[in-house]
Amino acid sequence: MTKPTEIDLRRPLEVHSHTLNNGLTILLVENPSLPTVSMTASVLAGARHDPESKAGLAIMVSRLLDEGTENRTSLEIADAIESVGGAIDTDGSFERIVAMAGVLNKDVDLGLELLSDLLIRPIFPQEYVDKEKERTLAEIVSAQDRPQVVAGWAFNELVYQDHPLHRPSHGYPNTVERLTRDDLLEFHRRFFVPNNIILSVVGDFRVPEFLPKIEKALGAWEAKPLIFPIYPEPTRQNTKRVKFITMPAQQLNIYLGHLGISRTNPDYYALQVLDTILGGGAGFTARIPQRLRDELGLAYTTFASITMTAGLDPGRFVSFIGTSPENMKLAIDELLNEIRRIIEEPVSAQELQDAQDYLTGSFVFGFESSPQIARFLVHAQVYGLGFDFIEKYPQYVRAVSVNDVTRVARKYLDSENYTLVVVGPVAEDGNLLNGTQ
Amino acid sequence: MSSLMIPSAFATEDVRKTVLSNGLVVLTKEVHTSPIVTSMIWYRVGSRNEELGHTGKSHFLEHMLFKGTERFKKGEIDLLTLKNGGANNAFTSHDFTAYYFNFASDRWEIALEIEADRMVNCAFDPEEFEAEKKVVIEELKTGLDSPWGLLLQEEEATAYKVHPYRNPIVGWLQDVERATVEQQQAYYRRYYHPNNAILVIAGDFDAEDVLKKVDHAFGSIPAGAQPEPMLLEEPPQRGERRLVVRWRSKVPRLAMAYHAPKIAAPDSYALQVLAVVLAEGKASRLYQRMVEREHSVTFVSADYGEAKDPTLFHIRAEGRGDHSINEIEASIHDELTKISTDGVTTHELDRAKHQIEAHFILSRERTLDQAILLGQIETLYGLNYIDSYLQRIDAVNSADVADVCRRYLNENSRTVAQLLSDGSEGDAEDDDEAD
Repeated sequence: MTKPTEIDLRRPLEVHSHTLNNGLTILLVENPSLPTVSMTASVLAGARHDPESKAGLAIMVSRLLDEGTENRTSLEIADAIESVGGAIDTDGSFERIVAMAGVLNKDVDLGLELLSDLLIRPIFPQEYVDKEKERTLAEIVSAQDRPQVVAGWAFNELVYQDHPLHRPSHGYPNTVERLTRDDLLEFHRRFFVPNNIILSVVGDFRVPEFLPKIEKALGAWEAKPLIFPIYPEPTRQNTKRVKFITMPAQQLNIYLGHLGISRTNPDYYALQVLDTILGGGAGFTARIPQRLRDELGLAYTTFASITMTAGLDPGRFVSFIGTSPENMKLAIDELLNEIRRIIEEPVSAQELQDAQDYLTGSFVFGFESSPQIARFLVHAQVYGLGFDFIEKYPQYVRAVSVNDVTRVARKYLDSENYTLVVVGPVAEDGNLLNGTQ
Repeated sequence: MSSLMIPSAFATEDVRKTVLSNGLVVLTKEVHTSPIVTSMIWYRVGSRNEELGHTGKSHFLEHMLFKGTERFKKGEIDLLTLKNGGANNAFTSHDFTAYYFNFASDRWEIALEIEADRMVNCAFDPEEFEAEKKVVIEELKTGLDSPWGLLLQEEEATAYKVHPYRNPIVGWLQDVERATVEQQQAYYRRYYHPNNAILVIAGDFDAEDVLKKVDHAFGSIPAGAQPEPMLLEEPPQRGERRLVVRWRSKVPRLAMAYHAPKIAAPDSYALQVLAVVLAEGKASRLYQRMVEREHSVTFVSADYGEAKDPTLFHIRAEGRGDHSINEIEASIHDELTKISTDGVTTHELDRAKHQIEAHFILSRERTLDQAILLGQIETLYGLNYIDSYLQRIDAVNSADVADVCRRYLNENSRTVAQLLSDGSEGDAEDDDEAD
């Protein structure tokens, strides 16, 4: 086999970065490969900013953005965009509220107009607030039917304790019930300000023509000072936390892990290499899927990662397996064995090399479509990666040594003080329920 | 009526079709925007080719093709993918089994070597077979722990009495448990031949050069005996079928299925428009009525896809609040009756056509998406389906939509499946934060 070389993107991304007088950040990339344009407005406030008593507020704001503005009803917005075959999606996470418009190139003006309208002038009609609350409550009940979701929620509660990330981003039934239209308007007044927004546009348009249009649509929007709520950093657990949740099901869903790292952690790249060797990578090459799936046949789905959830706040180190009840002890032992092994023993030079080749080689797949590029632009801005990240990334990964992997394994993984959550046909004391199917 | 602007032939215009002397169909499409090559191989075999007692064979075989050959030992396919910074996966459906590799364009040709080798040399080590059986059974169980997975399985098993589309793709549990390595190997020999496969290569390469390499890798594999065609046909349904699945959930779920025609049938285009008018986007009929006005569901969907044999038009909804499942079902029937009687408005029709057109374009950005489109359509029917696709969608009028709604989405050809509480869900309320 020939030794892989680094890959260059065929066209290096030419990012046009502008800041309007009101502080709005604009990132533009021309990508004429298809006659489409992807526009993404990211408001840098999310569920991490919700007070505990109003958990779910940010997500509720994101879901109601396109349900009516000062100029248009909910149906008028939907009909306008769908009539040209476009789509508007609004979504929220712990870090951001995102409004996206995807249109054919001929409809780019309409996309910008609608996007601007719902960013600046949403009215959160009372009728829709009531409806969305009821719908969110119903969705929470529905999600509780899925053992993996229940396990994930319980895991976060135990790992994050009092930190905002302990809760589901959409909140709890009792906090969602209490949200009011005034809460939504207040959130909008406070965080939807141009100096807190990144607009990224990628696709088949010309910068000199489109930039003035953006300026016209969003330039008159007034900047305001921003104050973000402050909360303490989460701390790593120094004891074991274990929880068994009974649910009649075919399989047990098992989460084992603890607090992880933030995206800006300098050890992020060494931990990406570690993830590739321990629980990710291509197919079932990593140690956990190789051992627990390929050799022992314990699962269809099993993996581990610490970098996957890294964001502005520390993410989680998670190892997961969905397995038949009779395998519980073996599965947990094997997960712990693999975690212990990577902490205690150096990885082989070959494993390191393979992981580096994989990460630097597969990197290119993240930049194929306009929405992917738009997402990268936001990440580059929010996490301070720099727009030359694409050229630098291979160096970051190649710089990782065997000793680095051991060092970060010892520093960030813990095979003693972890959180274990098991959901399925198991009693609260951890004994398997007899005769469950 | 505004007409669609982009001819769908753009998706096939640079596609070159070559047939090797052993019958392997090769589709190449050069796309030089990113330094990526997607290579896929499609076999004309899926769960539609399986007999009762032997279900799940196509899917199990897909798993075995990653377990090694004489040349590429167990784990080596994944390891080569890792070392070359690529991605690989596979999927099995009713109608086909497909495998893909994504690699950077300077190192993708290893994919040809692997696919050519495992077309005929899959190892079938008995120990590996038994180990993988456990993995497949875990996959099957994951599906049974999903309320929608379970409901759709029961719905399809009721909607079809004869046609193998009634069986789950992953197979029935006891069939998978009883599967033997000898049967599995015989199934492989029957269906994995160059003349039962389609190779699709899309991305950054030179077709002329690549076709030589394809011939080098695959040309020496002899053609196989053409597998016997699957001749089972579903007899007409003569009245509504209803079923209830009891499960540990207080959320009622509704799945309705109507018998509908196969790919490229003259009525299939109007049915696709109908699915979009009913439930695609927030302006759609069922969304406006059930989510917006009646507040009776968290979501509603309508789905009708391309299939080799006559298939199902699905409508699904998840109930909320105090609304009964019967009330939800009645609203759907009522909208279908209205469309059958009055047709759809010009505006609805135009909107649906533009949504179909934009979806067709917007979902083809990655080379993998393009390879999937080409491979799937060539496997099911032939690429000329794509060439005329948007034109045929554009030709659909309101009377056509009303007509197909009346003829296909009627009471006598529907199966109504409800997932309802078994009374045990109180036990699952262990989430202490839930209130």
